[in-house]
Formats: sequence, C-alpha cells, structure tokens
Amino acid sequence: MKKGKILIIEDDRFLIKLYSDKLSREGFKVRAAISGEEALHKISAEKPELILLDLVLPQKSGFEILSELKLSSRTKDIPVIILTNLGQETDIKKGLGLGAAAYLVKTEFSINKLPALVKEHLLKSKTK
Amino acid sequence: MKNKSKQKIDEYKLTEATSVISHQLKSPLSTIKGYVEVLLSGDLGKLTPEQKKYLRGVLTNTAQMIALVRDLLDMARIEASQLYLQKKSSSLSKIVREAVKDFSLLAKAKNCELSLGAVEKLPLLKMDAIKIKQVMLNFISNAILYNKRKGKVVVSLVKKGKNAVFCCKDTGLGITEKEKKKIFSKLYRGKRVIPMVPEGLGLGLFIAKAIIEKSGGKIWFESKEGEGSEFCFSLPF
Repeated sequence: MKKGKILIIEDDRFLIKLYSDKLSREGFKVRAAISGEEALHKISAEKPELILLDLVLPQKSGFEILSELKLSSRTKDIPVIILTNLGQETDIKKGLGLGAAAYLVKTEFSINKLPALVKEHLLKSKTK
Repeated sequence: MKNKSKQKIDEYKLTEATSVISHQLKSPLSTIKGYVEVLLSGDLGKLTPEQKKYLRGVLTNTAQMIALVRDLLDMARIEASQLYLQKKSSSLSKIVREAVKDFSLLAKAKNCELSLGAVEKLPLLKMDAIKIKQVMLNFISNAILYNKRKGKVVVSLVKKGKNAVFCCKDTGLGITEKEKKKIFSKLYRGKRVIPMVPEGLGLGLFIAKAIIEKSGGKIWFESKEGEGSEFCFSLPF
C-alpha cells in the first residue's frame, strides 16, 4: 500500500536518486522535477500530498516556487519541506515565512530521518 | 569616508562570495554524506565490519570537510557582523552528552580517555543549540587532538549563580604565556600544535568566542604549559 504521493523538486540527480530510493523503500510514491516549470507541470497533472523543495534551482528559485504554491487555492495546503544548503537566518525566516512546513539544511540532516519526517508532516496535514 | 564605504562594499562582496563558494562546496558534500549514511544503514544490504569501517572513514572525513566549510562561512559572517543565532529553548545537558558521544571514537583512536564529569540537569536555556554544540565540539576536539599519549579529557556542566558553566579539561600540552594572548585570534595556530594536526585552520576558538559572546555569555581558559588546559564558557539563564 502506498503511504503518500511525494514530489521532489531538486536539480541534483544524485540527491533525487537518494531521496527517491529512501522514500520508495518506505512505500511512498515518489516523483521528481528538476526545475520549477517541470514541478508546476507535474503538480497540475497530479497533486502531490507533500513536496520536498530545494532552493537553488535553475530558472525559478525554490522561494518563487513556494510563493506560487501558497498563492494557489489548489496547492496552498500541500506541506512543503525545504531541504537546502542555504543555512542563513534570513533564508530560514524567508522560507518559513512563505509557509514552508519545515526548513532543513542538508549538511546538518541525516537522510535516514527523512521517511519519519515525511510521515510526521503528512499526518499533520491530514489532521488539520 | 570614501575609503570606508569602499571597504564596506568589499567586505560585503567577500561575504557574498564566501557564501556562494560555501554553498557550492556543501552541495557535493551533503550528497556524499547521504549516500554513505544510506549504505551504513543497511538499506542496500548487509555490510561486512571492514566495509563499515571504510565507510565510517568516508563519513568522518566528509564531516571534517563540512566543518571546515562551515568555519570559513562563519568567519566571513563574523567579519561582516552577520553572525546570526537561531535561539530556541534547548537542554544544555543533552547537548553535552551528545558532544561527548560524537567524539568517543576519535578519543579511542587517539588513545585518550574522554569522560563526563559532573553534568547537572539544568533548566532549559534559550540558545542556538547547533552553534553551542559547535563550540563544545571545538573544545573537546582540541582537548583530544592536542593531548599527550594516554591523556585524559573531562567535560562538565554545572550551575554557578545565574549561569550554566561548561568546561573541558585536558592533560595536554598546555598553552605558553606568549600563545595565551593570541589564542582567540583569527587564523592563529600555536607553533607546537601545527605538526600535531597540520590541517587545522586556526578558526575554531575565534568562532567559539564570537558565538558565546553573541549568546550573551563569557568564554575563558586556564592553562599551564606542560600540564594541560581547561576551556570554559558560561551562558546566562
């Protein structure tokens, strides 16, 4: 049984594989997009239940994507977890201020904790 | 006046450039870290003890690289007065225990006895737990790396008046009178320690001082050449 539909927005193919494999092994249905345009296209085709979002991306930044998601009534309730290497306070404040459910810095986060974190936020969004 | 504003712009550009470079360096490092963590978790199959040992070596070295990049970025932020802390209520005693645990393998490898002395359970403190742990790790790693053979390191956390006081005591080389004046300076490394750990940058204590002072605390040390040192910091409740 699939546990939830996850969309990864990340331009590093090694990280896409890492996140996808980890979450797929735990029973999640995972898709990935390497740019904002591709992400918005995939979201309109099938609405994900949770999004993992990088911030430094080609064309549109993660912040711009997050703003667009939170402006649309169709996507504003999807929990978005930011996973980035930008760790400055200004970035963290901006991300959380735009409505991200969590903000994590890749180098300070263990991939092994990802499935539990995703489950936690999926549960939170369902009980809202 | 013009020179001063030009200097400000240069400093800003340097901080921005350091930030971009740090980001570029952190990206592949976080990927390596993630891949090794998955291998070590056994998700892709059982590993032999020897394979695990090799992978832990990769992970330890990756963590060192991440710490170096973080130090460079912290240095640039301190220089530009842009070191910000994310304060949240956290448990100091929990962080102390974690920090000691993090270094148990290194201590063992260096034939050093790392132990917890008095660790009092204190009220939660509003602080940047990641940055405070960074300071503790700096004290503990210095105490292990610059110790004598079969040396000892004792870490403690106690309440003194309205402050929590963390100390890390070692039986290492000690610090000479000349070195004492420069110990918290940026990029300073004592002549005697360079051959012991050639790859250090001399940023750890400079950053530690900035973090503790920014947190409203105090940092100090006592040391006797040939007998050892004790580095401490206090944080107000």
